[in-house]
Amino acid sequence: MSSTAILGAWIAVFLTLGIFSYLYKDNPFYKTAEHLFVGVSAGYWTSIFFWTQIQPNLFGRLWPSSEFSADTIWYKIYNGLSFFSSSVFPEGGIDKGHDMHLIYLLPFALGVMMLLSLIPKINWFARWGIAYTVGMAAGLRAYGYLNSNVIGQIKGTAASFTDPNLPFFSLTSPSIFNSIVILVGTITGLLYFYFSKEHKGVLGKVSKVGIYFLMISFGASFGFAVMGRISLLIGRFVDLIKYSGSEYLNATVWVLVIMIIILGYDAFKGSGKGTPVSEDAV
Amino acid sequence: MEGFKNLILKIGRVDRRWIFLVLAIVVLIPIFTPIGMPIRATVTTKVVYDTIENLPPNSKVLVSIEYSPSTKPENHPMTISILRHLFRNDHKVFVTCLWPDGQFMAQDALKQVAEEEFGKVYGEDYVFLGFRPGNEAVVKGIVSNIRKLYTVDVYQTKVDEIPLMEGINKFSDFAFLFSSSAGYPGTIEWVQYAADPTGVPMSTGVTSIQVNEVMPYVQSGQMKGVLAGMPGAAEYEALIGQKGSATSGMDAQSIAHLVIVLFIILGNAAFFIERKRSRKY
Repeated sequence: MSSTAILGAWIAVFLTLGIFSYLYKDNPFYKTAEHLFVGVSAGYWTSIFFWTQIQPNLFGRLWPSSEFSADTIWYKIYNGLSFFSSSVFPEGGIDKGHDMHLIYLLPFALGVMMLLSLIPKINWFARWGIAYTVGMAAGLRAYGYLNSNVIGQIKGTAASFTDPNLPFFSLTSPSIFNSIVILVGTITGLLYFYFSKEHKGVLGKVSKVGIYFLMISFGASFGFAVMGRISLLIGRFVDLIKYSGSEYLNATVWVLVIMIIILGYDAFKGSGKGTPVSEDAV
Repeated sequence: MEGFKNLILKIGRVDRRWIFLVLAIVVLIPIFTPIGMPIRATVTTKVVYDTIENLPPNSKVLVSIEYSPSTKPENHPMTISILRHLFRNDHKVFVTCLWPDGQFMAQDALKQVAEEEFGKVYGEDYVFLGFRPGNEAVVKGIVSNIRKLYTVDVYQTKVDEIPLMEGINKFSDFAFLFSSSAGYPGTIEWVQYAADPTGVPMSTGVTSIQVNEVMPYVQSGQMKGVLAGMPGAAEYEALIGQKGSATSGMDAQSIAHLVIVLFIILGNAAFFIERKRSRKY
């Protein structure tokens, strides 16, 4: 076993047990793991975004190696940038298989505008970038949801009751019964969210049926959520058991014992400033 | 009877940390001493299996990885099983990632299955295109012109120089899509922007928490089945006849569920007894 693998195992064990220690109470181990997670995630995402999109797909289209010419002003600017970072702007242009597309100066400018939000005096520039992103996302999603979540769902669940091949009852395949359940559930569920009329009389009774459908749906979601959390717990335990082996220098055992001793000593001395686990932290 | 009610009330007031401890023990025991509970494939899992089984040999299949190490116990076993099934049937596999961490997950799965188990040749049997940021815009890009989005693969090789990429220009050039997803962007975006507009069949493997969200697409026929969390992965392992980490976790999963149900019943019983008593006095 290499020393980096062993070190990695010890770090993994410390971070896992640090997060688990919150179930006892808030403590420095948990805080350390939490802060490391946030910091490393932000750094990792930034790095990945830069090297998979900005460098190859933006700079790669603005200064492609295929059209490199050291005499032009455009590539003189590039050579200037290359002086600061030869890894981002390698000599001879960026070779990622692109041709030159100066239209990409537009997203480049919008991206820079987003970063200007850090400067209070000119942070209004960021609104241009945000406006473009929101507009593009809204347009994309409007189409997607209308096509798949409205039309696709209606097409997929609508059934012809006169179809002789459609059985009256089937749990797992299309049937008249299932279609009626979907129809009733959808209409009553939607009516529950109709607030222009007081929920009394017929509307009150119908919307109550909608509540039952919603509750069944929430129950199913809760069940699946529990199942998911237990799966993740199993995954961590399997790793902790693996790292407790002698090939990893009994990482789990040592880290667990040290944590228990420190937290126990802290509790014994009564100096623990941490608050007990919150009521809703399950 | 009164003594029994008092006992339930006492259990209802127990410090939640004891419940955490009981749950940890209950999960640990079956991991150390497996019971070997039977695993039977559900219809939705069987549909995924049958769809891949019915693909003609040498089909071009896109596998998209949209999960991170945080949901590895649920998603990774299903990715590995799907890759095993695809390579066993001699399909050509193209891997993309909508999540940056998915790149590592995909790398790990490909190394294990494509390289070590099947000895597949990179660039001829499979291609690893990697991650591109942009969420649904990436899906739209793959649908319209994959070569505009991916000019190089994950190893920085130009896609024009990869033999397997010949004839692959847009999403409809693939015969099938499998999305291993843990959230946004993921399965739903693939349905909305790729599978529905083009008619290319797709299946998915999702975390348990997403099952309710994606099930309507399965029921309406917009997706060919779904692998639902760790049980779905275990069922798929059973179908391809190669047990893995999902199967070994199912004993702990089942017993933990029983204990949680017991705690829910006890907690509710304590609540109702307490409410009844408070009304009485």
